[in-house]
Amino acid sequence: MLLAALLLLPFATATLLLVARPEAQARMLAMASTLVTAVVVLLLWAGYPGTAVTVVDRDWAPAIGLRLVLGYDGIALLMLVLTGLIFPFIIGAGFKQQLDRPATVNALLLYAQSFLFGVFAAQNAFLFYIFYELALVPVFFLLLFWGGEHRRTITVRFFLYTLLGGLSLLFGLAWCVLQTPAPYSADFTALHALRLGTDVQLWLFWALFLAFAIKLPIFPFHSWQPDTYTMAPLQGTMVLGGVMLKMGLYGILRFVMPIVPEGVLFWRDLVIWLSIGGALYAGAIAFRQREFKRLVAWSSLSHVGLLCAGLFAWNSYGVSGALYQALAHAVLLVGLLYIVGAVTARTGTGDLGAMGGLKLRTPRLAALFMLVLVNAVALPLTQSFVGEWLMFNGLWQHNGWMAFAAACTIVLGAIYMLWAYQRVMLGPDSGRPAVADADRDDHLYLVPLIAISLVLGVYPGPVLDLLEAPVQQMLNTLTALN
Amino acid sequence: MVSAQLLAPLVPALPLAGAVIIAALRRRLSGHAAGLLATALIGGAFLCSVLLFLGFDPAGGAQVAHLFDWIRVADMRIGLAFQVDALSLTMMLIVTGVGTLIHLYSIGYMHDDPRQSTFFALLNLFTFAMLLLVMGANYAVTFIGWEGVGLCSYLLIGFWYTNPAYNYAARKAFVMNRIGDVGFVLGLALVFQVFGTLDYTTVMERADTFATGAPALTAITLLLFVGAIGKSAQLPLFTWLPDAMAGPTPVSALIHAATMVTAGIFLLVRSSALFVLAPLTQDVVLYTGLVTALCAATIGVFQNDIKKVLAYSTVSQLGYMFVALGLGAFSAGLFHVTTHAFFKALLFLGAGSVIHALGGEQDIRRMGGLRSATPSTYRTFLVGTLAIAGIFPLSGFFSKDAILAHAYQYGPWIYALLVAGAVLTTYYMFRLLFLVFFGSYRGQAHPHESPAVMTAPLWVLAVLSVVGGALNLPHLFGGHEPMKHFLATAASGVGLEHLHLSALLEWSLMGFSTALVLLTIWIAYGRFAKQATLDPEADALPVPQRWAARKWYLDELYERLFEKPYGWLSTNLSALLEQRVMQPLMVGVGGTAERIGELLRRVQTGNLSTYLFAMVAGLLLFLFLTLNGL
Repeated sequence: MLLAALLLLPFATATLLLVARPEAQARMLAMASTLVTAVVVLLLWAGYPGTAVTVVDRDWAPAIGLRLVLGYDGIALLMLVLTGLIFPFIIGAGFKQQLDRPATVNALLLYAQSFLFGVFAAQNAFLFYIFYELALVPVFFLLLFWGGEHRRTITVRFFLYTLLGGLSLLFGLAWCVLQTPAPYSADFTALHALRLGTDVQLWLFWALFLAFAIKLPIFPFHSWQPDTYTMAPLQGTMVLGGVMLKMGLYGILRFVMPIVPEGVLFWRDLVIWLSIGGALYAGAIAFRQREFKRLVAWSSLSHVGLLCAGLFAWNSYGVSGALYQALAHAVLLVGLLYIVGAVTARTGTGDLGAMGGLKLRTPRLAALFMLVLVNAVALPLTQSFVGEWLMFNGLWQHNGWMAFAAACTIVLGAIYMLWAYQRVMLGPDSGRPAVADADRDDHLYLVPLIAISLVLGVYPGPVLDLLEAPVQQMLNTLTALN
Repeated sequence: MVSAQLLAPLVPALPLAGAVIIAALRRRLSGHAAGLLATALIGGAFLCSVLLFLGFDPAGGAQVAHLFDWIRVADMRIGLAFQVDALSLTMMLIVTGVGTLIHLYSIGYMHDDPRQSTFFALLNLFTFAMLLLVMGANYAVTFIGWEGVGLCSYLLIGFWYTNPAYNYAARKAFVMNRIGDVGFVLGLALVFQVFGTLDYTTVMERADTFATGAPALTAITLLLFVGAIGKSAQLPLFTWLPDAMAGPTPVSALIHAATMVTAGIFLLVRSSALFVLAPLTQDVVLYTGLVTALCAATIGVFQNDIKKVLAYSTVSQLGYMFVALGLGAFSAGLFHVTTHAFFKALLFLGAGSVIHALGGEQDIRRMGGLRSATPSTYRTFLVGTLAIAGIFPLSGFFSKDAILAHAYQYGPWIYALLVAGAVLTTYYMFRLLFLVFFGSYRGQAHPHESPAVMTAPLWVLAVLSVVGGALNLPHLFGGHEPMKHFLATAASGVGLEHLHLSALLEWSLMGFSTALVLLTIWIAYGRFAKQATLDPEADALPVPQRWAARKWYLDELYERLFEKPYGWLSTNLSALLEQRVMQPLMVGVGGTAERIGELLRRVQTGNLSTYLFAMVAGLLLFLFLTLNGL
């Protein structure tokens, strides 16, 4: 019931917004919807029995193995919680960054939420794929019509690039489904039961992994990301980086690792080095970015590289850390982007070179930025530290040099984040006209985000416990292999 | 007596509460009230520490107060837990005791700063983090504090944030510390891999199962030492500490002299059971400390900023402590941490009082003759100077002598170099004393003595600097090295060190170094007290003095080797590799697809609603048909 509500409530609200077009009330309506969804998702968590749950299970298109199977385990639940908790903030950002035609904008965002819930609740590969591609559609429109400079070129490029990955995934999945015993089934259970030959796994790995590598993205599939994140409207970037990229992470866990474990074993060192190399590469590039939002985009790329590396360490610490970091990264990115929006609104520019001394006028905003920043540089007792610590341990147990290279990102992160903070907030008065300090709304937005990052940094137990069983179960595939 | 289980968490909780309350109420609370509250809470933490100390039974071993499991994944169980034992108690008393005095002093020093409340909130937050660092029952809790003090250090160095140079100094401190932290984090990962836990008691117990020189232990200790190098400002990562003097002077006293910078020494003493089994690391520690001690001392001789002289002196003294640890004389190292906390905090606060008296002047060439204008500051500063020079019977004499004696036993030439360092220390410290307080005033301000709220802490620290030696009085003077025996109950590496020198030899060594120090004072008196010999600018000095005055060009070296190339790399990775290679590659891949996009554009009508309706309608139709039809 609750799960169905998650998919239907945002969908219904979105359709209502689209039909009735209550432009004036659109934001409040969308906010109400996401808040209810957030409560629902927390209820779902509270009622989680500790083992995988299947809610809906019925045939749809049996000829191709497509069945309507919805359910969740601990990992999926984490993703549902993430989607449920982050969307109020994504909608909330619209109250400050007002876009034209709010009814349509919020409808698009809510459609995206609904489809994302679908992605994480689907227990059938084709169903997953449908939601996976559907989720892209509202974001595509958001970018195309509300984006910044060069929005058409960048959006189309982004869309086609991810679609290309999607096609590869579809091909891979279809091929897998054909390997299942007749009548074909695309259910996760059926796919996970496949025992494919080693040769097959080596190429199939890339067919499945490519889509997710682009979605995350990791080096060298990342080049669409900085432009897209920078050009997109703030809320669009939040959806893309906050939630959608976690589909990549989730997809790797659901498809790549269980279906082609030998492929993973064969390719994982390459993938880890690409990920860590990309994390360092993005961290180095972030340092000298002139545009605040682009700097955040590169920083996100750096964090995601680390996340993928942690995942492919393929032990309890690495996988749990990567999943934990997925949540942390969403909270962090949304917070940082909000700060970008708040600063840009006040200074009238996104150019770091033209900023400075803002703290003199806006000490509260500076304090809030600092509290978000400590999560960005993964100081202990923030969420990010828990994730990074686990990932470093995971990598360390796999290969010490990888852990060393990964740990170097904590230096690069400190360099670019503190530099950005200084450029925006510190230094002498830039002589701009007076601007307002963070107001009640800003606090209402950022304080809960900061609270989440601190509470889950001090007491990560509930989330880690949620992951324990499914991660262990997944890793058993590996143990069985050895 | 309240149980340690309740009292121990209260110690860090009080300053944390202070930080939170002051931050939350900073608009309603006057700066003065914030200062009083902050001081009261840290004073409360000091009282709790004293109670814990009085109720502590060294024979009973460590008491652990486990709050809850912090990180719990598979076999990894990391508790948020505090450990009360001889080592943490020693550090707690230093941190809260000296901390209380510095908080009190700050009420006077910061009284006309508009952001006084913020200052006290941060100072309290720092104390909280520092207490976590020393009280942690496992490496992870220590690391929480380790990073926390780094953040507070960053925020306090850049406290006056409108000055870009200060902001740069703050970032430099944080980033250089982070470089060390890479080693620390990996060290922890290795500890966990090797021992399966991060709890100090278990790790130290299991250390015995390893043979001396076991590669795992060597690797762990080297990695931990990399962390210590960053935090405790040793070569090659010490250049942030002198720049950190940009912060308000009480910050320099508390963070960059008495407490935070000694965290590296604390970490090594905490891990002493591992270090005694890693002779290779011990040597690395020894020589790093030795070279740093001498290098910083030579730079200190040519500084003209009152705080910079003290900063290089701190780096140099930290070097001495590491030498002690490298020699295996852990208790001697921690003894020097203690006495140094007294006299260096005293010297910094004295310097602050001078700066306060002169309205912000920091250049000793524009000081002089302050003996009469600031009598309390002068007398206490004199005590501090005598203590750091190691004049009998002040505390510095005993703690330094312990290190020197161990050095002689290990190798006379190390002893000789350390004595040379001590001579340099005496020289630059007395140069400072004489240039500031003797002769005639060379500036334009109107010097005045600081208020009692500032001088009272000076006197307390002066008394401690005098009598602090009693804490670990050696046999030679009728003592029983109480601190060493106390610490030996906590760190199994402590207490292994033994001096086998004859009493006659010890007396001669002491006499030798004391004679040299006295001679140095006499020379400094001639050069700086009678008539002030002012050094010209660094460029006018002959080589090699110019090199030392230019900090051996380390900052320039790092700028050329790392800062500039990294900036260049960042710019060019973006401009060349990303723009010229990665982007076109993507466009190329997408190019084929883009042609498909052309088709898409043809059906484009430009009306978004049409698309959306089409999308939703199609979806609903699809759902309806399939659910019903199949």
